[in-house]
Amino acid sequence: MCSNIQLIFEKETENELKNFVPQMDIDEVDINEILPNTLQRKDLPIPNIPEVEIVRHFINLSNRNYGVDSGIYPLGSCTMKYNPKVNENIVRMPEFTYIHPLQEENDGCLELLYHISKLLGEITGMDGFTLQPAAGAHGELVGLLIMKKYFESKGLKKLKIIVPDSAHGTNPASAKMAGFSIIEIQSNKYGEIPLDQLEFAMQEGDVAGIMLTNPNTLGVFDRQIKEITKIVHENSGLCYYDGANINPMLGICRPRDMGFDIIHLNLHKTFSTPHGGGGPGSGPIGVVNELIPFLPEPCLISTQQGIVCNENNDKSIGRIKAFWGNFGVIVRAYAYILALGAEGLKRVGQVAVLNANYLRVLLQKNFNLPFNRICQHEFVLSDRGMPNEVTTEDIAKRILDHGIYAPTIYFPLIISGALMIEPTETESKKSLDYFVEVMNKIYEEAKNDPEILKNAPHNTSVKRLDAVLAARNPILHD
Amino acid sequence: MNNLITELFKLDFVPHDDKTVKEMLNVIGVKSLQELFQDVPSDLIIEKLNLSSGLSEPDLIRQLEKISHKNKVYSSSFLGAGCYFHYIPSLVDFVTSRSEFYTAYTPYQAEASQGYLQAIYEYQTMISRLTQMDVANASMYDGSTALAEAAIMSTIITRKSSVILLRGIHPEYVEVIRTYCWGQNINIKSANEENLKDMLSDDVAAVLFQSPNFFGDIEDVSNIIKNVRDNCPNCLIIQVMTDPTCLGVLKPPGATDVDIFVAEGQSFGITPSFGGPGLGIFTAKQKYLRKMPGRLIGKTKEINGEKEGFILTLQAREQHIRREKASSNICTNQALCSLAALTYLLALGRTGLKEVAKQNIQKTHYVKQKLSEIPGYKILNKKPTYNEFLVKCPDIEFLIEQCRQQELLPPLKLTNYYPEMKSIALVCVTEMNSKQSINNFLEAARSASKDNVEGQ
Amino acid sequence: MDYECPNNLKYASTHEWIKIEDSVATVGITDYAQYQLGDIVFVELPEIGMVFDRGSNAAEIESVKAVGDLIMPLSGEIIGINENLADNPENVNSSPFENGWMIKIKFSHPSEIDELLSAEKYKEIIQNEKH
Repeated sequence: MCSNIQLIFEKETENELKNFVPQMDIDEVDINEILPNTLQRKDLPIPNIPEVEIVRHFINLSNRNYGVDSGIYPLGSCTMKYNPKVNENIVRMPEFTYIHPLQEENDGCLELLYHISKLLGEITGMDGFTLQPAAGAHGELVGLLIMKKYFESKGLKKLKIIVPDSAHGTNPASAKMAGFSIIEIQSNKYGEIPLDQLEFAMQEGDVAGIMLTNPNTLGVFDRQIKEITKIVHENSGLCYYDGANINPMLGICRPRDMGFDIIHLNLHKTFSTPHGGGGPGSGPIGVVNELIPFLPEPCLISTQQGIVCNENNDKSIGRIKAFWGNFGVIVRAYAYILALGAEGLKRVGQVAVLNANYLRVLLQKNFNLPFNRICQHEFVLSDRGMPNEVTTEDIAKRILDHGIYAPTIYFPLIISGALMIEPTETESKKSLDYFVEVMNKIYEEAKNDPEILKNAPHNTSVKRLDAVLAARNPILHD
Repeated sequence: MNNLITELFKLDFVPHDDKTVKEMLNVIGVKSLQELFQDVPSDLIIEKLNLSSGLSEPDLIRQLEKISHKNKVYSSSFLGAGCYFHYIPSLVDFVTSRSEFYTAYTPYQAEASQGYLQAIYEYQTMISRLTQMDVANASMYDGSTALAEAAIMSTIITRKSSVILLRGIHPEYVEVIRTYCWGQNINIKSANEENLKDMLSDDVAAVLFQSPNFFGDIEDVSNIIKNVRDNCPNCLIIQVMTDPTCLGVLKPPGATDVDIFVAEGQSFGITPSFGGPGLGIFTAKQKYLRKMPGRLIGKTKEINGEKEGFILTLQAREQHIRREKASSNICTNQALCSLAALTYLLALGRTGLKEVAKQNIQKTHYVKQKLSEIPGYKILNKKPTYNEFLVKCPDIEFLIEQCRQQELLPPLKLTNYYPEMKSIALVCVTEMNSKQSINNFLEAARSASKDNVEGQ
Repeated sequence: MDYECPNNLKYASTHEWIKIEDSVATVGITDYAQYQLGDIVFVELPEIGMVFDRGSNAAEIESVKAVGDLIMPLSGEIIGINENLADNPENVNSSPFENGWMIKIKFSHPSEIDELLSAEKYKEIIQNEKH
């Protein structure tokens, strides 16, 4: 292993193999009789690579990567919990993988989709679900389009959405994609929404509603959540719940009871389906009764004949994705919910919060904690007051040197130098203690040897990379 | 059995025992787990979820098997319409099952994620080479949403507010585009080859078409492009494809002056799985790079060193930086599916992919020939086809029933999407249809033919 | 932190500097703005001939971690753009007031100049900004 990067394309062979194609068993005709020459390509510049080289290549790449199976992955608002291996078995059953979305003998799939929506309904308190959205952001778009259609059906023109300054970037981006403009509200010193500002904003009259996550991205549960949703409702608005942070609430509290009308869930966060390095995910949307007619097509209902599609609904926002949703992801979440059951889910909520507070209390000794109160599943540190002007980025890069992954950095934007930490419930005390040990070591280095932090990481396969060069002169393929 | 014992027969991934929990509560300074939820108003705290108790692993598998058995796996399929049965090399599952890949998050900390970043860079490279388009992103959700986002992108680039959909786009894709465009007040116009020229006007941002199209036709892409360029020079041309294995033989979009090319990548190593997850392949010309949605992986160097590495780049396009100014809200995409597609294309190589495409064309041609010899059947496509075609049937219901009896997944009844197109089937034939299964299908067709039906 | 604020220029509270010469205004972003954004990777400039009102977004300045808007300090027509920035966006960081200039405006409402800030006033604003 001498050169630093070897792309797979360099392992080409001249061998021409058709080892992954069945033997041709019918008589062929001259292809030029079927397809005019002008429609055919001249050459196909993709390489032939021997199988052994492919295997070695990806095994080597995997050794230069880090997943939650490798160690703690405390990314805030990502809920990097353990992905159960039994789910990987279940999802590979041929009766799940070799099912065409348009085939008629699909009772198992429809039943599963219907049943999981009932389970999610019980967990969240919502009345109806769609499993169509492919990710949380996709779900947000769907939820906002539902809001838009709802108000249109009432002949009302409401084109603004309120979003707190602590919101994840997808919230305002989704609102824009749905045709809304944003009113941003500043969080108060407790990290909560100031009620008077909310009242004032709602009084404009053309506000469709609010998008919130609770606990918020600071890990703080907004104690006035019922008042917030009440104010929005009193001003004829709707309340949207970003479910990215629902993990601590499982079995404890439900968004419906908080007053929310529409919610999305991230199955690849809360419900243990693997992140996949950036997907595939699944972002189901749950709504209250009144909004069920607006759900995207197709919608499943239970009848005497079994689970069927509800057709010809002109209130629906329409289709938001081909076929049925990320079924392969949904199966894993379904298995997870059944496996844990009522008690298991509650234990998730309780221990997620236990683990986060344990870290919070131990880390605040050396690190700045802007919101010093009981947190839920996550909390945010800041680099304020770090010796020798060591930054959050320096800390994160040095964490990598200890063989673990860094927390989320520079989000939420309202904390300068934010370091957002969410351990999840599947980290053992030993694992948490190790993380604290690493962080304390880093603090000592900040005091006594800041250069080692500013030049970190040192032990990874490459050192700190030039993001500016990558953006100024993008090289996106070879 | 009392409750305590059933409690233990469930899956539990929380490693703490009671002693540890007590220790940790002590360190935090609270007496109970309940106290940690002191900020939640007491009237919101629920007692217990109304769900059954959990299941141990064997019981869980039994339960899921029960449900799965209500689905039917056919021995061979003649159904396509946006989702295809191709052979998936064992390599693909091997690679995507490496938990260093599938349990990883989006590679924000580049230095600890070089493995995945390189893989996606290689995916971007592979797609670029295959399509001959200048840039490919790391993925979108699927073909339908990729097409919808391409339409939106064209309105941002051109500052125009309508798009034209050429006849032949997958009907579900059309519905998705309608929903997305409604969200942004983008006007949609429909056209076909004959009246396209008349529909092109100043307010058109893009013309969207599918080739090979939903009905199986391989369109005369150069003709469409010439028509648009001559009559609406500022308009973008967007092509979508639902089965890109055809690129093993067909002229790639990059050789035809298409501005944005998107595709459903499920055919590249991803199981049908009832339609999801899929893979949104998204490519464009270099000049549109900074308006592209989705993640992009770039190659760069160490700041203080000589080594090269890979990094998420041009993030200033995306929602986490641009927020309400972002042109797309996409965050989590379909990364693991991109990895599957890369592995598939590497495993097959140019020789394998060419062979797959060739077999799809040849076998489809064969079935078309044989079917048209059976009384009552008429092939409706006038243009060349890849692996799908339309056939008018003497008794489509009987044909479908016969197919089922032969354990063949029947072709699509076109009335599912176009109620006026009665007795027409959309048949799909891939390299996975053996001669035996093709003969069985032709047998089923014969028994549902004019002669036989009339003779009954 | 001491930011450069040449006295011969006018300023806007949205961190643009303006150099007035006869009926043409040259505009760019200030030293403070480039520092806040970080290393600039790309500048999207308008086309020559476009007309904007004061207060609208004329250009976008991208860094690795942020995006800033160039807000028109005066209404008018774009008669010049700094094409060098396409290959050398780093000029905005190294020379924000000279090589990093962005657009030239033929302004239509001279009275708007009175509402621009002096170097003194602008210095006060950036002193008070939280960061």
